[in-house]
Amino acid sequence: MSETETRKKVKPVKKLAEEKAGPILEIQGLTKYFDAAKGKMVHAVENVSFTLERGETLGIVGESGCGKSSMGRTILKIHDSTSGKIIFDGVDITKFSNKQMNPYRKRMQMIFQDPYASLNPRMTVGEIIEEPMVIHNMGTPKERRAIVQDLIQTVGLKPDHIRRYPFEFSGGQRQRIGIARALALNPEFIVCDEPISALDVSIQAQVINLLEKLQHERGFSYLFIAHDLEMVHHISHKIGVMYLGNMVEFGTSDEVYKTPLHPYTKALISASPVPDPELAKTKKRILLEGEVPSPLNPPKGCPFAPRCPHCTERCKQEKPETYSIGNHKVACFLYAPEK
Amino acid sequence: MSLLEIKGLTTEFKTDGGTVKAVRGVDYHVEAGEILGIVGESGSGKSQGMLSLMGLLAGNGKVTSGSMTFDGKDLSPNHYNTKAEKKQYEKMLQEIRGNEISMIFQDPMSYLNPIVTIEKQITEGILYHTKCTKKEARARAIELMKMVGIPSPEMRLKQYPFEFSGGMRQRIIIAIALANNPKLLICDEPTTALDVTVQAQILELIKELTQKAGTGVILITHDLGVVASLCDRISIMYGGNIMEEGTVNEIFYEAKHPYTKGLLNSIANSNVDNKEPLKPIPGTPPDLIKLGNECPFAPRCSEAMEICTKYSPLSTEFSKTHKCKCWLHCAERYEEVIGGKADE
Repeated sequence: MSETETRKKVKPVKKLAEEKAGPILEIQGLTKYFDAAKGKMVHAVENVSFTLERGETLGIVGESGCGKSSMGRTILKIHDSTSGKIIFDGVDITKFSNKQMNPYRKRMQMIFQDPYASLNPRMTVGEIIEEPMVIHNMGTPKERRAIVQDLIQTVGLKPDHIRRYPFEFSGGQRQRIGIARALALNPEFIVCDEPISALDVSIQAQVINLLEKLQHERGFSYLFIAHDLEMVHHISHKIGVMYLGNMVEFGTSDEVYKTPLHPYTKALISASPVPDPELAKTKKRILLEGEVPSPLNPPKGCPFAPRCPHCTERCKQEKPETYSIGNHKVACFLYAPEK
Repeated sequence: MSLLEIKGLTTEFKTDGGTVKAVRGVDYHVEAGEILGIVGESGSGKSQGMLSLMGLLAGNGKVTSGSMTFDGKDLSPNHYNTKAEKKQYEKMLQEIRGNEISMIFQDPMSYLNPIVTIEKQITEGILYHTKCTKKEARARAIELMKMVGIPSPEMRLKQYPFEFSGGMRQRIIIAIALANNPKLLICDEPTTALDVTVQAQILELIKELTQKAGTGVILITHDLGVVASLCDRISIMYGGNIMEEGTVNEIFYEAKHPYTKGLLNSIANSNVDNKEPLKPIPGTPPDLIKLGNECPFAPRCSEAMEICTKYSPLSTEFSKTHKCKCWLHCAERYEEVIGGKADE
């Protein structure tokens, strides 16, 4: 089925974005430590704060091990946070029990990175998409089946795919099944944890377009976790850059991509390969020395200090606060106001 | 003469579901000091072509036709038929692998032996291929580790793979591959498992090595960004065929094949206005068991014609380096393919 046909069949769902006021998600000083051997702690997420407006996409970029997936999971309360606040739609859910969380789980969903591992191989596609509704006691079996039918077309699969099993599908199609499952409860907020990194280039764009179309029609808010900067810049309204559990820079998509402030963001953008040979020749690469320090034993001062070309004595001793330059936030002493 | 010349390579796999024609008559050539990029999606045959060259195909795989010549030596397994010839072929490959041709694999996490020290893993190839003492091999290993940028190599040689990060392991793999100064280095997605900033370091290293030592490099990847900054020439593969080949500039600025154009359109390019929706290629890659003689891209192609679904297109030359296989550019030559069957 073509994209336009799919679009016509989707029922116009009321746009949540216009009805309610205030941000959908507010994170204040979120911290998550995991226990490790010998009494050590893995500092996965360290004092992260941001807000996500309704109907917007916040892109989170950073290298593997920087805590971006841990943060997504902590926000959904798959992990309990160590400290900080998670305010979802005006309600502080940080300390909620599993029972209290139940009505909220419906409203926040997740799309996983690996479309091969995140679908139960022994369930049919229909069962997979229906399962969240069964868990939350939504509708009669007949109603649920109608919703599954509807969803499968929304994500661009064919009605007869319902009775098939995941192994019969390609990576891109599986990711569509994962998306349909996330949509089943009609959530308001979706964490997309690297939804395209396991897909082929020509298929990535299909999935991105689908996510964008759904956001446009239903007013979803996305937390889009990825390491592909070009894609994040494309899909996001705002971008947060993470390094070793810390949010080192936060701003609108264009601000962060076109006028990066933090030395790490600058290096990250300069290192990402541009698909344009002439530009690649002229582009100045900032080659970083070394690798990310271990989160078991993070540096005392700025987390980026050991690799930073602008590192000073102060950076090694003291952790920089987050400084605001307009709406653009950066945690680096280079931007500290003069005393 | 080219360092490596592959002509009409065809590789097939026998499976329960039928015969998979993974590589369908492809041509490559690589000169010394040149970087050739092979771009394609998963299942396009880009890795299998190289494994055919190295004689590393899985048990059910077989090279059925074509010729491969490396540095004057005939490396095509289909040219060695009797038992004695096969033995000779195996022996020759044994001498070449890890010596004149080296390969860097995709996943640095699973490629190294976890229970053998780094020293043994690096020196193994040196001791096998050259006449030298363990001490000399160790000295060479230290030299290699310095070259690929691993600090304090004397101490690190005694360590095991789990004590290294992903980027460091990939450097060790590069060190192993370079141990005997290969003439040709095949890199199969060398940076896919790595972070962007580490990827930049590794790519810089590969580039430096080609320029210094005049090594020929084949870089297999699906990342168009990587090929743009690193390669001299590019071959675009799809469904076991080379759809288009040319210099980097010819591919990026004068792409002729609808698939190449589609690939270039479907990546987010932030230097253009980025809020335009992306233009994906609809559909999914072909099933290589069912795929016949037609153009493999025809079902997904926006400009497909009737002929595309029946006959394989001819190769059209746009310049000495730029070739493309598409009926859009060779429609007037259809009689060469169809011959007398045009009236059917």
